Amino acid sequence: MLKFLFKKERQVQELISRYLDNLRSTQEHFEKAMDCYFDFGLGENCDFLITQTHKFESRADDIRNEIIEMMYSKVLIPESRGDIFRLLESIDLILTHFETVLFMIQNQRLEVPDFITLDLRDLMRVSLECSDLVIRQVEAYFKKTEDIKPLVSTIDSLESRCDHMERETVRKVFDSDLDPFEKMQLKDLVNHMGEISDQADRVSRSVHIINIKRRM
Amino acid sequence: MTSLLGGIFLGWSLGANDAANVIGSAVSSRMLKFWTAAIIAAVFVLAGALLGGQAGIETLKGLTHFTYNQAIISSIAAACTVTFMTLLGLPVSTSQAVVGAILGVGILNRQLNFEGLGKVLVCWIGTPVGGIVLAIIVYKLLATIANSMNLNIFQSDILLRLCLIGAGSYGAYALGANNVANVTAVFVGAGMLSISAATLIGGLSIGLGILTFSKKVMETVGQKLVKLDPFSALVVVLAQAITVHIYALVGVPVSTSQAVIGAVLGVGIIRGVNTIQRRTLVNVLLAWFFTPFLASVFALALDFATHLRYIPG
Repeated sequence: MLKFLFKKERQVQELISRYLDNLRSTQEHFEKAMDCYFDFGLGENCDFLITQTHKFESRADDIRNEIIEMMYSKVLIPESRGDIFRLLESIDLILTHFETVLFMIQNQRLEVPDFITLDLRDLMRVSLECSDLVIRQVEAYFKKTEDIKPLVSTIDSLESRCDHMERETVRKVFDSDLDPFEKMQLKDLVNHMGEISDQADRVSRSVHIINIKRRM
Repeated sequence: MTSLLGGIFLGWSLGANDAANVIGSAVSSRMLKFWTAAIIAAVFVLAGALLGGQAGIETLKGLTHFTYNQAIISSIAAACTVTFMTLLGLPVSTSQAVVGAILGVGILNRQLNFEGLGKVLVCWIGTPVGGIVLAIIVYKLLATIANSMNLNIFQSDILLRLCLIGAGSYGAYALGANNVANVTAVFVGAGMLSISAATLIGGLSIGLGILTFSKKVMETVGQKLVKLDPFSALVVVLAQAITVHIYALVGVPVSTSQAVIGAVLGVGIIRGVNTIQRRTLVNVLLAWFFTPFLASVFALALDFATHLRYIPG
C-alpha cells in the first residue's frame, strides 16, 4: 500500500541512482579520453572518446532535469527538494570540468610537453579518485550504505594533494622555456584539472552538511 | 433551531480559525493538499466532539445557570469578542471568550461556580506551559527515535509526512473533544440541547468551518508563522494536540493557539533559537487578559440591552 502511495518518491530515488551511474560512465570515458591523449595525442580515437564523454554529460543533464521536474511535482518535503536540487547542481559542475578539460585539449590543439606529462597524469589520477569517492559518498547518503564522515576527510586530504600538485605543475610550466602563450594555455589546463578535485571537495562538504542538518 | 445559529456561527468561526493550528503546517509546507487535510481534520474533529466532548460541556454548563435568552446572549457575546479581537489582529482564544461571556451572565445571575472557575483559570495558565513542556519531551523522544533509525532522505520524508498526517488527525480529534464545549455548552446549560445533540451540532459546525473557510486562514498563518523545519513542525503539532487532549480529558476548553505558541517556544528552547518574536508574545499576553474581560462586558451589555423597555412618554 505504501509503495503505491509513494510511487513518485521511488521514481526519484531510481532516477538519482541512474544519474550516479551515468556520472561514473562520464568519468570512465573522461579517463579513457585523457589516457588516449597522453599516450597517442589527439586523433580519431581521442575525438571519439571526447564525443562519448560529452554524450554522457548531456545525458546526465537530462536525468538531472527529470529529477528536478519530478521533485517539484510535490515529491519529498520542500526542504529536501532544495537540498537535492543544490546537490545535483553542484555535482554537475564536476562533469562540466571534465568536459571543459577535454574541449580545451581538442579545440586549442594542446600539446603537453614531456616534462609535465607525468605530473598531469598524477593530477588526473588523484582528481578522479576524489570524484570517485564523491560518487560513493553521495550514493551512501541516499542509500545509507556506509558512514559518510570518513569519506569527507579522505576527499579533503586528496583535494589538498591535488592543490599541491597543481601548484607544482604550474611552477614547472613557468620555469620552462616554453612560449608565453603556451605557458598560459597549459596553466589554464592545469587549473581546470585542479578544479575537478576542488568541486568534488565542495560536493563532499555539502553532503556532509545536509546529513548533519537532517540529524535531529 | 434559529436560536442555535449563534452557537453554530461560533463553531464555524472556531473551525475556520483553529484548523490552522492542527493542519496548517502540513498544508503550508505543501506536504498535504488542502482538501485532503481539511477532510481528515473535519472527520476527526467530529469524532473528537462525539467521543470526548462531554467533559468540557459538563464543566462549562456548570459555571452558572442559564436561561434560554442568556444562552443565546453568551454565545453572541463570545462571537462578537472573537470578531472584535480578530479585527484588532490579536490572537484570540474562543475558549476564553466563551468562558468570559458565561462569567458575564453569571455575574448578572449572581450565581458563579468558583470551584469550576478556578479549575478553568489554572488550565488557562497551564496551556502554554503544557505546550512548552510537552514540546521539549516530544522533541527529545522523537529525535532519539529518528536518529536511531538511520533512514535515508526518502524514507525519513515519507515517515515525516505520515507522522504529520497522524499528528494532524490527532490534533483535530483533540480540537473537537476540547473545543466543542465552547460552541454548544451554553445551550446544554439552558436545557435546549442534550449533551449528545450538543456534541453532534458543535462537531458539525466546527467541521463546516474547516471545510469552508480555513484555507485562507491557513495560508495567512502559514506565512506569519515562524519558519520551522518539518521535524519541528511535527513536534509542535503533536505537543499541541497532546496538551489540548489532556485538557479535553480534564474537561476544560483551552486555546489551541496558546498551546501552539507554547510548543513553538519549547522547540525554540531545545534548539537554542529564538522562534517567536517579542511582539507576538506581547500580543498573546494582551489577548490572554482582554478576551475574557471583553466577553464579560459584551455579555453584560447585551443582557442589559435586552432588558430595556420602551416606556411611551
